[in-house]
Amino acid sequence: MEEFFNKIKETFTDATLEFETVTIKVDSTEWIETHQNLRDQFNLKFFSWLSAIDWDNEVSVGEAPKESVSPSFEIITCLSDLANTNLIIVSTNIVKSDPKIKSLVEIYAGANWHEREAFEMFGINFENHPNLEKLYLPDGYEGNPMLKSFELISREVKPWPGEVDVEGMPEESESDKSEDG
Amino acid sequence: MVNALDPQNINSFSEASVSVEIETEDMTLNIGPQHPSTHGVLRLVAKVDGEKVHDVKPVLGYMHRGYEKLAEVRTYPQITTLVNRIDWVAGFSNEIPFITGAERLMEIEVPERAKHIRLILTEMARISSHFVFNGAYALEVGALTPIFYAMEDRERVLDLIESVTGGRFHPNFNRIGGVKPAAGAGPTTKKDIQDLPAGFYRDTKVAMQKVIEAADQFQNLIGGNEVFKKRTKNVGVLTAETAEAFGVSGPILRASGVKSDLRTQTDYLPYDQFEYDIPVGENGDCYDRWDVRVKEMVESAKIVLQAIDSMPSGPLQAKVPKVIKVPKGRTYVRAENPKGEMGYYIVSDGGLGPYRLKVRTASFSNISILPNMLEGALLPDLIAIMGSLDFVLGDVDR
Repeated sequence: MEEFFNKIKETFTDATLEFETVTIKVDSTEWIETHQNLRDQFNLKFFSWLSAIDWDNEVSVGEAPKESVSPSFEIITCLSDLANTNLIIVSTNIVKSDPKIKSLVEIYAGANWHEREAFEMFGINFENHPNLEKLYLPDGYEGNPMLKSFELISREVKPWPGEVDVEGMPEESESDKSEDG
Repeated sequence: MVNALDPQNINSFSEASVSVEIETEDMTLNIGPQHPSTHGVLRLVAKVDGEKVHDVKPVLGYMHRGYEKLAEVRTYPQITTLVNRIDWVAGFSNEIPFITGAERLMEIEVPERAKHIRLILTEMARISSHFVFNGAYALEVGALTPIFYAMEDRERVLDLIESVTGGRFHPNFNRIGGVKPAAGAGPTTKKDIQDLPAGFYRDTKVAMQKVIEAADQFQNLIGGNEVFKKRTKNVGVLTAETAEAFGVSGPILRASGVKSDLRTQTDYLPYDQFEYDIPVGENGDCYDRWDVRVKEMVESAKIVLQAIDSMPSGPLQAKVPKVIKVPKGRTYVRAENPKGEMGYYIVSDGGLGPYRLKVRTASFSNISILPNMLEGALLPDLIAIMGSLDFVLGDVDR
């Protein structure tokens, strides 16, 4: 892992190694070149996955980020080299007002379905994608469910946690409650 | 109007039939979503020209439960319950990479004993998953008998998982920092931590011996069957290059000749303490994919037998805070599940639950290659190829 990280760092100077995960951040204009380079020069031929993160301080679900973030989509791919256990996370940020990025299908055929999923869940347009259609959602479904602004309907109908109606066990005192949750 | 019965015309008719090319229209064949051999609710829309399959479009989403969204409104301990249900054939395996990821971010060192128990149960989950594959795949290519043996043998392994965790399919046994006290260990006082149930080692030894025997039996019953060989050898050949570009992993990738096994390559569980082989195929056809899995069952049984012999003593749980908060950070943990690489990318902002949880499942990438593999295949081979990928729709749709 260290060896691979040092090799990556020669080309991508801002690469980080945190919690046993090598991550590089690139500009969205270099998206295609970076992946081509990683596949051909670093032998990262195994396409593991592609996904996105919606960064926003105004959220309808879950907790908002504690620090202020500029609203953007972060697109992430995970590539690996199976013979040598090398793994890398490639990340880029794109603006929310015009969310588009070049498709990776030409480089990694496996990106096809992952990009379709990101397209329907976040509304990101992948340029030059051969078949950018919905993957899971039915035709006519409106909205992009994975956006932080998209409400989770079941939580709207019945807020969580509901009324707590479970009494504690009589023999259990506060002090020796187990910690396993 | 030509009189066809006129002997003078008969010659010219027969000539005409050979020189005219018959134009046929492609037929659209809809398979699923409800079909016994689709492993859940997968729908395939295939264009067929006679017996040849042209263009296959998998239609997904019938089992989409939105785990990634649900994870954003749940705490870390609650998510463990959810992820059990991703690949329900091997529920225990789904918990491991998620829990390991949370532990890594919290910088918790898990006790050795807990790691060993996790490893044993993961391998048992792999064995039970491969039993289902063996039975179901034989059924799909037309052999009715093996599934009865497979289900009976699997039940023995499930009984063991149940005796420890309390659940056959959804154990929900892992806790951040270790494992839950075992279910079947009998009454206990607060000071005496419940451990593995009485007789667990003895029963495991018997069951694992049976697994090795069962694998041998499958080699004769299924692998030795001429019809099975004819239907699977050189059918659905997958090259290593294509497999890697599509992110195909696990036994399918190994059947194509790539010796890749995350158990030895990463350190999510102490596999480096045991000796076992990684079965690899040669041709990447349906037969090899079946063969690799049968051999894997034997290797898994060997690992379990070694693990119970070298079981360390000690606590089952590391010290963890009462309220689990994961510090800010990101990590990706992957594990070798029965169906391939499963991983969780956890993005934590220091809260009670993750800001974003990406679930990478094996079956999703594994079946994304279906249109590619089925192009030009014969219609009767469609089910044989599809079945050899051993997927579960919960693992595809998430």
